[in-house]
Amino acid sequence: MDVLEVVKSNRTKKTFSVSRDCFYPTVSGVILCRTAAAKTVDSKTRSLTRRWAQAITFQGVGKRFGSLDAVKNFSLEVGDGEIMGLLGPNGAGKTTLMLMMGTVYRPTSGKITVQGYDVLEKPNSVRSIIGIAFQDPRFDGILNGYDVLDWHLKMTTSLGKEERKQRVEGILKALGLWEARGKRTWLMSGGMKKKIEDAKILAQRPKVAVFDEPTAFLDVPSRLLVWDMIRKLREEGSTVIVATNMMDEAERLSERVAIMNLGKLVTVGTLGQLKDTLKGGEVLEVTIGKDGPRLEDEVLTQFKEVHHVNQVDNKILVYLNFGRLMLPKIVEALTSQGYKVESIHLKEVALEDVFLTYTGQQFE
Amino acid sequence: MARRDIEVLFRTPWIIISRGLAFIIQLFVFATLISRLVSVSGFFQYYAVGSIISMVASISFIIGYDIFEEAEEGVLDYLLTLPVSRRQFIIGRALGGAIRALIYVTPMFAVVAIIEGFAQPASLAAAMAYLFLLAFGVTGLSITVAVSVRSANRFDVFLALMELAIVRASTALYPISFMPSYVASIAPFSPVSFASNGARSLLLGPGLDLSTLAGLLAFVVVFLGLGAAFYFRKLEGGVYA
Repeated sequence: MDVLEVVKSNRTKKTFSVSRDCFYPTVSGVILCRTAAAKTVDSKTRSLTRRWAQAITFQGVGKRFGSLDAVKNFSLEVGDGEIMGLLGPNGAGKTTLMLMMGTVYRPTSGKITVQGYDVLEKPNSVRSIIGIAFQDPRFDGILNGYDVLDWHLKMTTSLGKEERKQRVEGILKALGLWEARGKRTWLMSGGMKKKIEDAKILAQRPKVAVFDEPTAFLDVPSRLLVWDMIRKLREEGSTVIVATNMMDEAERLSERVAIMNLGKLVTVGTLGQLKDTLKGGEVLEVTIGKDGPRLEDEVLTQFKEVHHVNQVDNKILVYLNFGRLMLPKIVEALTSQGYKVESIHLKEVALEDVFLTYTGQQFE
Repeated sequence: MARRDIEVLFRTPWIIISRGLAFIIQLFVFATLISRLVSVSGFFQYYAVGSIISMVASISFIIGYDIFEEAEEGVLDYLLTLPVSRRQFIIGRALGGAIRALIYVTPMFAVVAIIEGFAQPASLAAAMAYLFLLAFGVTGLSITVAVSVRSANRFDVFLALMELAIVRASTALYPISFMPSYVASIAPFSPVSFASNGARSLLLGPGLDLSTLAGLLAFVVVFLGLGAAFYFRKLEGGVYA
């Protein structure tokens, strides 16, 4: 959960830590400081203003297997150079969607284009620009890690033998697999196999890269490493789709998140947009001086973003939207009424709350 | 794709070695023994050539197991995302399976050629062409079965029975005159019989037998076509869900 921490101050005392990134100087003298998590959110909010050229489009896409509708009327646009998180519980239809995009399955209805190529009309063109790292590693167990990557590059790129060698060596070293390069993959641990699966696409550097649960089975350092490599892949020009059911993965990687459930697109937007759609989803916890009068709710509910106010002793809980933007106004409203603000903490909405609200389901 | 199938073979050299040893034992123990028991002259030669043919057929069936396993384990999904057209993919698999079988039996064929003194290059090359045609056709048959049967157990049983039928109910290892009537009536139509009779005719005389060549070609056209069509339909339909 992202926490925007507000370190107190009042008109007379201004003693606070300066080691953090502080901002929002207000008339009350309250200084607001961002935690690292808050900075991440802030950078994502900025992406609201970015305009994407479309790299991938889904228009009313459906896929039926017998009597089962795995994907239903799915429409989405993914921008060129964007990292799109595709979030959903197991069985939501994420993998089916990706396999349709990768030309493995034919959509039963609707249309999918990848970099302008229709997956049904120009499947070979689509295959030449896409790379999919599967949830379960998919390669011949008889091959060793080096050969899996070398063969993949041979099939998907025009690199010469020496260039392939360099790229495979680079990626194996980066992922800490160089020493195990000669080991047959069927003898590898789940984490090692998963890294090899991710490495195929990281080494290929396709125009459109799709990762299905890229850090499943990985330990924490490896997860951070893979996330970093996926970000670098995007910086090099790839459009990235990350299908996941892990909240932190979607939050850390994605610029926008599409939530799927039971084969349908439930909602899509930046993390900020999604969180702001929950009415009163954020909670601002304000501590005021004990000697002041009881707060009249109207002082804060005058703002349309504030949905509810609850006061217990000198603690005020304000349920609102756009908490970070409202913070200075609320502090100012309180101080103008003579309340002494001692501390403020903003508890922002978690992605999990968004998912729960939209689907009524808990992630596994 | 064909290279991939061939390269996988060379990553399991112990299988080639063990099969090779089994073949040597079969030839120098079983064939030698049987040839002393039966009154047919030149049975050792007959058996040696036939065992090569039956081995080509058996090995060509393996591609079906590979394809079935790939679909079950999800490797097929990966292969289908690679920038290879479906036609290239299917032709590559069939070609890879056939070439792999041919590579597999070539050392054994060389052993038989040395023992029996087959020294006519044209005959040897034509016999190899027969082997290749058989391998190509059986690969097609194997692919047809692999993409038509969904249950793993049913697939194993069906392919094993199929292999048994076309190899055992053929003239590869036994002359037709010694077969029970119910086998003798179907054996001439087995593709393995076409290949065995044709190869023997080339290596042991009298020469090229056009009827066996025609039969083998028909088998190749029918089953390679069927295998390719079935596989293509399944792949494009996304049936491997």
